Amino acid sequence: QCPDPSLDPDPGLAMKGDELKERDPHLPQPIPGLGKGGKHEGPRPGPEPAAPAQPVEEDEALIEFHRSYRELFRVFCNTTTIHGAIRLVCSKHNRMKTAFWAALWLCAFGMMYWQFALLFEEYLSYPVSLNINLNSDKLVFPAVTVCTLNPYRSVLAGATCLLPQGGRRGDRKKKKKSLLSPVPKDPGCRARAASADQLPRCLTLTGLGCDQNKSDCFYQTYSSGVDAVREWYRFHYINILSRLPDAVPALQEEAPGKFIFTCRFNQAPCTHANYSHFHHPMYGNCYTFNNKNDSHLWMSSMPGINNGLSLTLRTEQNDFIPLLSTVTGARVMVHGQDEPAFMDDGGFNVRPGVETSISMRKEALNSLGGNYGDCTENGSDVPVKNLYPSKYTQQVCIHSCFQESMIKKCGCAYIFYPRPKGVEFCDYRKHSSWGYCYYKLQVAFSVDSLGCFSKCRKPCSVTSYKLSAGYSRWPSVKSQDWIFSMLSLQNNYTIKNKRNGVAKLNIFFKELNYKTNSESPSVTMVTLLSNLGSQWSLWFGSSVLSVVEMAELIFDLLVITLLLLLRRFQSRYWSPGRGARGAREVASSPASSLPSRFRPHPTSPPPCLPPQPDPTLSLVPSAPPPAYASLRPWASPLGSVGPSSSAQSLTEP
Amino acid sequence: MAPGEKIKAKIRKNLPVRGPQAPTIKDLMQWYCLNTNTHGCRRIVVSRGRLRRLLWILFTLTAVALILWQCALLVISFYTVSVSIKVHFRKLDFPAVTICNMNPYKRSAVGYLLADLDKETNSALESLYGFSEAKPRERRETRSRSSAWEGTTPRFLNLIPLLVFNKDEKGKARDFFTGRKRKISGNIIHKASNVMHVQDSKKLVGFQLCSNDTSDCATYTFSSGLNAIQEWYKLHYMNIMAQVPLEKKVNMSYSAEELLVTCFFDGVSCDARNFTLFHHPMYGNCYTFNNQENATTLSTSMGGSEYGLQVILYINENEYNPYLVSSTGAKVLIHQQDEYPFIEDVGTEIETAMSTSIGMHLTESFRLSEPYSQCTEDGSDVPVTNIYNAAYSLQICLYSCFQTKMVETCGCAQYSQPLPPAANYCNYQQHPNWMYCYYQLYQAFVQEKLGCQSVCRETCSFKEWTLTTSLAQWPSEVSEKWLLNVLTWDQGQQINTKLNKTDLAKLLIFYKDLNQRSIVESPANSIEMLLSNFGGQLGLWMSCSVVCVIEIIEVFFIDSLSIIARHQWQKAKEWWARRQAPSSPEVHPRQRGQDNPALDIDDDLPTFTSAMRLPPGPGAQVPGTPPPRYNTLRLERAFSTQLTDTQLPSEP
Repeated sequence: QCPDPSLDPDPGLAMKGDELKERDPHLPQPIPGLGKGGKHEGPRPGPEPAAPAQPVEEDEALIEFHRSYRELFRVFCNTTTIHGAIRLVCSKHNRMKTAFWAALWLCAFGMMYWQFALLFEEYLSYPVSLNINLNSDKLVFPAVTVCTLNPYRSVLAGATCLLPQGGRRGDRKKKKKSLLSPVPKDPGCRARAASADQLPRCLTLTGLGCDQNKSDCFYQTYSSGVDAVREWYRFHYINILSRLPDAVPALQEEAPGKFIFTCRFNQAPCTHANYSHFHHPMYGNCYTFNNKNDSHLWMSSMPGINNGLSLTLRTEQNDFIPLLSTVTGARVMVHGQDEPAFMDDGGFNVRPGVETSISMRKEALNSLGGNYGDCTENGSDVPVKNLYPSKYTQQVCIHSCFQESMIKKCGCAYIFYPRPKGVEFCDYRKHSSWGYCYYKLQVAFSVDSLGCFSKCRKPCSVTSYKLSAGYSRWPSVKSQDWIFSMLSLQNNYTIKNKRNGVAKLNIFFKELNYKTNSESPSVTMVTLLSNLGSQWSLWFGSSVLSVVEMAELIFDLLVITLLLLLRRFQSRYWSPGRGARGAREVASSPASSLPSRFRPHPTSPPPCLPPQPDPTLSLVPSAPPPAYASLRPWASPLGSVGPSSSAQSLTEP
Repeated sequence: MAPGEKIKAKIRKNLPVRGPQAPTIKDLMQWYCLNTNTHGCRRIVVSRGRLRRLLWILFTLTAVALILWQCALLVISFYTVSVSIKVHFRKLDFPAVTICNMNPYKRSAVGYLLADLDKETNSALESLYGFSEAKPRERRETRSRSSAWEGTTPRFLNLIPLLVFNKDEKGKARDFFTGRKRKISGNIIHKASNVMHVQDSKKLVGFQLCSNDTSDCATYTFSSGLNAIQEWYKLHYMNIMAQVPLEKKVNMSYSAEELLVTCFFDGVSCDARNFTLFHHPMYGNCYTFNNQENATTLSTSMGGSEYGLQVILYINENEYNPYLVSSTGAKVLIHQQDEYPFIEDVGTEIETAMSTSIGMHLTESFRLSEPYSQCTEDGSDVPVTNIYNAAYSLQICLYSCFQTKMVETCGCAQYSQPLPPAANYCNYQQHPNWMYCYYQLYQAFVQEKLGCQSVCRETCSFKEWTLTTSLAQWPSEVSEKWLLNVLTWDQGQQINTKLNKTDLAKLLIFYKDLNQRSIVESPANSIEMLLSNFGGQLGLWMSCSVVCVIEIIEVFFIDSLSIIARHQWQKAKEWWARRQAPSSPEVHPRQRGQDNPALDIDDDLPTFTSAMRLPPGPGAQVPGTPPPRYNTLRLERAFSTQLTDTQLPSEP
């Protein structure tokens, strides 16, 4: 049996081998990928068999291992750059010292990791810091939408395109008048609409819809009869609107001259390129200025009333539908380009007979998305389909979300929101219980059981305009004569009740400075690394490269352990007699499978020799070929590294 | 022998002198790597195995690259600011409040100056729109005027004629006064085709401004005659008023007693003496409350409408100029004491017969100037002279810039802004074509072609008052009677007529609360932070320090360069020796073969020369034959023509 080779300078583990030297002479080309690593270092060992004869000192292997643990540790302790650890591992033969250093090392180690934990905790909470920037550039004038507050002129509605439905609507209005009489008597009453030929059976003045089998009705009571009537009227108005063909509102489009008398921006008249028109079922004809995202966008390079938009509007209310339009004037909204004008949400009204000067101040808010905050860049990651042909805003998302659930629950689309393709607007002729469904849904929406508010996240960058208004009487008594006659002459239109028929509107930037509130990560990766490095240096004085050093040490230890185990395994189970044969066998089999790597030595020495003090001699019994073969698979990723018997170890004896 | 020991022994053997005196750069590097404290370097030398060494070289280089990159990031982000928002609750200084009547001058006082202009405007309106003043008395007057007018040629309409453009015939316009059609030769600024005009009317009104030689004209058309008339009127108005001296203008406008009917501040009565006059070219007499005239700035002790400024303004609608101002009311501006009130730009309008409550909220901002941002502390570093008698602001800078450019280009100053030194206001007696010039310049200014917007910078610290306006009908129906009577009695000295509801406006300005929000910027990074971050990075990747950086500089620059210099010096010497050789060819070979000239001369640097000579010789002791061969080869290349003969003796 072989002696235990464990910690001796073991001959079998002389890893100074270079398989390139042992390569078959008839295989001149090394494996390309593996041979590259050592190309620039030293002369490449040629395939000539004379390689083993070369001086060992000059030819360095691709990778070399130490022969034993002791040597490994000795070299490591001599050359390492890790502080503290050196003292612990390398303070030999002094238990006191070792213990002392172990305690110190553990303390420092604990401190460092405690600090590391604190630093990482801070970083992983993703803190943000607020920056307030004041920019003063030329500003893009926002889009301005002005609406007439009169969806359909009653005269026109009856006369032209609304005729088939309009007649019916006329009926309804009459009916409404008859219904109005009981209202003052009993405001909370549930007077049944007895003569409701078209209406759902269950509809009452205050109850607006029932489900299919009329067992469950939705009742809503209003403290005021006015509200009740308006809501009731609105409900039917929606139904009638849904029956209108799409083309009809387009026919209703009026010349802007009927509504906008004068328009100037920056002292220059507006052009057709500056505005677009749409029809809102509640707010009537709306004109959006400066919404087209092209080179014609208005820019404000100066603040002040003279450098803004100035409009003269007609606010005559003679042909308003009395139940639909209860306010007079015009509705204005300032919004960003490519944002839909939600006149309900962000508009405000302009009084007739008054010059309203609205000064704006821009504010931008940029928040960080991703880990830092719950916001979305462009809405593409929000699970709600954007029904509007505009960019993502939270309001757009919420409306789209409501419409989605409306279509899912009620089977039809709510008329004030855009509909997806293939879905029709709600109408009680086709969807008899949509009113019930809609009101139920609205309740669910407002308590957020639909999940719209949690689904819709705020956009990361929001631009808002802070408005403040000043009012003055317009036109003045002195100038109203010529102004009115001029307006009426010019627009072929007689203003009946003078002062209430017109309104003036100025919208301008109060100042060109605008505030940008932006967030930035308060702990960046760079500062985190710097802090880690500071702590590390403070407690250990080691670095990332020291860690690599440690990794290398561990790697070396593993390799040596493996080799030692193999060595022991081999020495235990292989008899010396079988050893030579086995060595030949095993060595020849990898040689046949991997001819480029191993060439079994023709005169394999006996695997076991009694340990000798001379290290060069102890190399002799080294490197049983089976060990190399088994090591090859893991060593190959490191390049052309293979644990193999060194050339000199085999040839020296 | 362990590889580490071995390599040490080898190095010791091969390098008799190490460190900065190392003979070659490679040796120097080896010495450095073995001795430095920087992690990684030593492993390159100590490691056994080429792959290991290569990996260590890669690791070290990666660490160096990471350090450089991270430090670059730190340096780039050095000039960032952190913002802190503080809310103070304290007694707040009341801002200055400037109040103007929208009508600059009383019509009764200024009438004689504008009578001709009004007359011509009237007749222009009459012939353009068939409109004449409704009242029969005035109509009679107008008619008599217009009949009288036929004899004399109109001054204003001749200067800048109002033109009617017919949509059908392009390029032609009718001078409404003469009825003549005239060709429009110049460029029409706002083309009729795309003007958003009213559908029915085919006529467009505008006017033409020409430069001196009348060949270069710009025509301005307006979508509405309303704007055209007002703009045209304003031009003439500015011309007329530019010739009126300031004292006269102040007298023509409203007095403080007239404008301010009642005044309350912080619950205490105040009067016209608390207001200082400020004459604005377009708004006439304005009055500024709390303007630091009497050296103390008033402050409010409480928030709420009771403790602010309460004034009732008298706005006499009968004294309005119909063509100049079309709306009734007053304008109010809240600003800092030393700030110029840009009333025409940012004032808030006050409606008559209404009570306007303006709640304020104060926000102060302090920013860091260079190099953190582009702002300026007091405007002294902005290359625009401040022509206003007020503290620098962006707006002042822009207007000063424009006015200076105006004086440069047109030779006179625009009426609505202050006069720069040694200039006077434009009027068409002296500068007949200033209007054309002004319009052109203003267009260029708005389109940022004058460069004012890029020159002017915002101020670093400023106060701003966020305003919330609310309105209520005032006076109420029931209180109207006694209120108007009392006020009429109060104002007995100034006004003779009974006050009307629509002649009065109530204004309340107050702090909503006494919270002051301050936004203060401070540098986010200090130099200590930067250095400690540098230290962190150096320590993290390589356990390096400033000393090791110095070491690197020493080794890599000074020592390497000295080695290279020595090398070159050596070569030069050898070359010189070779150069001398042809002169004494018989001595040369001997000298070269045995007595190496470098060895002889370079006594002070023996290691270097020995190292230089050693590699070719395997014995590494004898100055043998090989060196001559190299030298001659080099020489041959350099002096191939003249050294052909010298080569022969050296070859054997």
